[in-house]
Amino acid sequence: MDRKVKRYILLSFIIIITMASLIGYQIWNKPHQDIKNAVAAKTNAVALYNSLTNDSANTKVLFINKIVAVWGEVKQVSKNQQNQQVILLKTNVRDGSVNCTMEENIKNIKAGDRVLLKGICIGYIGGDSDLQVAGDVFLIRCYRST
Amino acid sequence: MPIRKIILFLVILMAANSQTKGQIYFTKNGSISFFSKTILQNIQADNNEVISILNLQTGSLQFSLLNAAFHFPKAKMEEDFNEDYIESNKYPRSTFKGSIANINKIDFSKDGTWQVNATGDLMIHGVTKNITTSGKIIINNGKISATSSFKILLEDYHIKIPSIVSNKISENIEITINCNYEKK
Repeated sequence: MDRKVKRYILLSFIIIITMASLIGYQIWNKPHQDIKNAVAAKTNAVALYNSLTNDSANTKVLFINKIVAVWGEVKQVSKNQQNQQVILLKTNVRDGSVNCTMEENIKNIKAGDRVLLKGICIGYIGGDSDLQVAGDVFLIRCYRST
Repeated sequence: MPIRKIILFLVILMAANSQTKGQIYFTKNGSISFFSKTILQNIQADNNEVISILNLQTGSLQFSLLNAAFHFPKAKMEEDFNEDYIESNKYPRSTFKGSIANINKIDFSKDGTWQVNATGDLMIHGVTKNITTSGKIIINNGKISATSSFKILLEDYHIKIPSIVSNKISENIEITINCNYEKK
């Protein structure tokens, strides 16, 4: 084989390997979803809680694993073990809340405030009806929205 | 008089109910994380949206979480975990339902750390296995918390590792539980 041809083959091989490595590196290091600036479907805490506890297939498609902005009245503000702020939004079920783990803490927020929180809705976890512990709907990586 | 008997019955029922309620402790933001050592990169993910309910009277203990809430440092890891490994669309929840042995030996009125064993059904990826694991119940200023750490084999829960990375990913993962309970 001609030396020139061999050189072209080697060069092509190096380019392909470099490009594949770059693409692989970019895929492996792609950033998490930008929730703060994402467009979100708006709803309120009572409606979201009722929809997800009914567990209909339509609701799952609309909300689960989607970015959702939820209006609601703050029931409780606390911190989890990672020191992230957790805001509970009131629903019409006693002890049942829309449970929002914040990515960015909100200063001076307290029970009774009305807020719009945006995050990924991951679904509903049932409590135990025999022990009278109601379940919650969970939103993760939340931000205050406008 | 029947009316007196009815009132007495209702009072006893209400007292029994309030006593049971007083024994129920729960959290809706418990923490469960897992760790797996690999040749490529160590994999760690945290889930801080765990519901756990502990009954001090009977020792019954339950955990329930949504797999999609596990947060990984890298988005690609999270995507692979949900789509290829745990298949969270098909199997959204993982649960444990069991009990703590000899819970009545724990004096919940005193601060201290108690070594305990819990036995029950662990359901991951749609597969249920009966497990026994050790852990600690910690009582501090009247607040109850629980911790435990144990390993599971991915194969036991039919979690398949793609052959291309099978020699780079560990066959077992370490699960760590950390829950701070509040009274019902």
